[in-house]
Amino acid sequence: MTKVYVSGLGIITSIGDSLESNRTGLIEGKCGIDPLDFFSTKYAESLLFGEIKLSNNQLKDSLEIKEPGISRTSLLALHAMNQAIIDAGLTALDFARRDTALIIANTVGGMCLTDELYQDANQHDVGSEYISSYDCGSVGIFLQARFGIKGIVNTINTACSSSANAIMYGSRLIKKGLAKKVIIGGTDSLAKFTINGFNSLHILSPGLCAPFDNNRNGLNLGEGAAFLVLEGEKDIGNKKIVAEVKGYANANDAFHPSTLSENGDGPFLAMEKALTCADLKPSDIDFINTHGTGTENNDEVESKAMIKLFNTKIPPFTSTKSNIGHTLGASGAIEAVYCILNLLHQEIYPSLNFKEVITSTGLIPEQLYYKTKLKNVMSNSFGFGGNCSSLIFSKV
Amino acid sequence: MFYIHHTVCISPQNTFLEVDLEQLINCSENKLYAKDFPVDGIPTALLRRMGKAVKLGVASSLPLFKFYDKLDGIIIGTANGGMEDCIKFLNQIMQYEEGVLTPTNFVQSTPNAVASQLGFLSKNNGYNITHVHRGLSFENAIIDVGMLLEDYPDNKYLVGGIDEISTYNFNIDYLCGYVKKENINNNNLYNCNTEGSIAGEGVAMFVVNNNSVGATSKFRALETIHTTDEKELQAVFHKFLYDNLSENESIDLFLSGENGDRRYTSTCESIEAMVNVDVPVARYKHMSGEFRTASAFALWVSNYIIQIQHIPTHMLKKNKQRKETNNIIIYNNYQGFQHSFMLISKNN
Repeated sequence: MTKVYVSGLGIITSIGDSLESNRTGLIEGKCGIDPLDFFSTKYAESLLFGEIKLSNNQLKDSLEIKEPGISRTSLLALHAMNQAIIDAGLTALDFARRDTALIIANTVGGMCLTDELYQDANQHDVGSEYISSYDCGSVGIFLQARFGIKGIVNTINTACSSSANAIMYGSRLIKKGLAKKVIIGGTDSLAKFTINGFNSLHILSPGLCAPFDNNRNGLNLGEGAAFLVLEGEKDIGNKKIVAEVKGYANANDAFHPSTLSENGDGPFLAMEKALTCADLKPSDIDFINTHGTGTENNDEVESKAMIKLFNTKIPPFTSTKSNIGHTLGASGAIEAVYCILNLLHQEIYPSLNFKEVITSTGLIPEQLYYKTKLKNVMSNSFGFGGNCSSLIFSKV
Repeated sequence: MFYIHHTVCISPQNTFLEVDLEQLINCSENKLYAKDFPVDGIPTALLRRMGKAVKLGVASSLPLFKFYDKLDGIIIGTANGGMEDCIKFLNQIMQYEEGVLTPTNFVQSTPNAVASQLGFLSKNNGYNITHVHRGLSFENAIIDVGMLLEDYPDNKYLVGGIDEISTYNFNIDYLCGYVKKENINNNNLYNCNTEGSIAGEGVAMFVVNNNSVGATSKFRALETIHTTDEKELQAVFHKFLYDNLSENESIDLFLSGENGDRRYTSTCESIEAMVNVDVPVARYKHMSGEFRTASAFALWVSNYIIQIQHIPTHMLKKNKQRKETNNIIIYNNYQGFQHSFMLISKNN
């Protein structure tokens, strides 16, 4: 079966608006989680966020967006997509082909516009400029129209594992011959909806999140977008290849809408099935970018699932959510890009804010930057509703 | 691509438990609500917390998990998921000025709530996904399950489409111009010559696998395109017919996604005109109403027509029903820019 390669990357997060600035931030252990400058919420004083320090107008100016009704979620997506398609050398000719697909993942869509949505949903007058921009599909529909994409276009929402599933879906389209090139993107922006939702579940940390620390007390919400261009080995020609999508899997924890099962059945199955898909053994995995949200439940359960799969030989692991917060539907794509940076530069970036080991599991994330030999790396994403996915990327 | 073995549909028509499509159920105020339905086997406390979309999903599908020993995954297309809970939570945020809120509406409001509740209630650890690409959500669920069955030909999957009418999405659709300004009766949907359609909702679920034994029909092909260019759309349909129907095969029914919005009627008719003049043409949106996963209802109706070999009179637009209805083409048009073509055939 044809191999699936990554030929282009694009990213914007609270530690940088480009691939280079994100890598520098990761090497330096930069933390982009701080008080809000732009987004307005009651929790601006009491909580910290991975906010991108660009206003909507600054984003619109830099992206030359003149038309009304474009949400921040779509703006972040466009920023990252522009980088990825330039990186992969895609042109209008590629977009117009029936075998070029666009697969988007997000969870808030235009619901970042809480006040506008509230007005539009509750009144019978005139709609706002954002009237058709609230659903998750709005981002992909905007990008489809802007670039004239003529292949399969889709939007996936499996909560926090959305963009991992988008990468999986896109890879399968190539393997099955339903697409030759696939543009994949995950995007989400800060929204009162998710801030209040996570707050009502009591899983937002009042300080900086501390993934895998014994005293961790919740996550920080962030925002961002990342795009990857995938191409089949037969069609990629002499283009540069940044990594191979080696394996992937999706499993359901089937336990609770917002909590993972005690022993992490879903996370274990996702990792195990991804290894089977990649035809690799646990010992072949050189590094894991964990889901690692910093909540009491996730980090303990993910640790248990890792121990069950890898036994005593746990690969080095980190959580980049300590740098940028939890970017929800974007996190799978952002962390995929970070994994590919690990592979490209043969280096590991420090996980931040870890102090004390979790007594029941005893796992310690990598806390220093160092160069090392990496062949296969794994990325975990687990979402509400028990939607668990794991991806494996390999050096080419 | 795969075989359809078992279907369930809850819709504004008599499609659940005892099916009777002859009698068209009418709508009021341009809304076709799904008929009341029982939800069995769910504790009352849990049921109370479920939004309508989740209830529709659970009532239609949970019995299938009992009927089949094992289903290998759950693939759902839903544009809005639990929109009602979503806006309820939003209203709480605004009314209580981001105060202390209960998480129930938040957890129920995520579009993946239907697939995840089904996974949770049936203890199903298999593949679980939610496609939310507006008017092509169900179609992407079909593409997904088609790929899964290529990889795992011995597996059985649940695939379906589901969306609800809530006060809020009706309001938004109304402001978008998707709903007619004047009140109409659904039996007059195609004669209005005005903009907008009538709102609908429902769920259609399918158990599918790669095994023809015992199947009612074969799902043979699907094509999707985003375009507002009629010529481009026609070219896609032309290729679809050429690629998927052999010369000696006839189309026995063309099921059109006309929705009574005069802006899209000519496009639908230009596609309809590409099949032979003697092909029976029928319509379905006067039964389901317009919603983003209405094509799932269309697939259910097509499968049912193949099963009973009868097309209800109120559906027929042109020509009489043929002696045998073996091959059906479904064309769906969502707001003039998201299009799909499906081909299903009787399982011989």
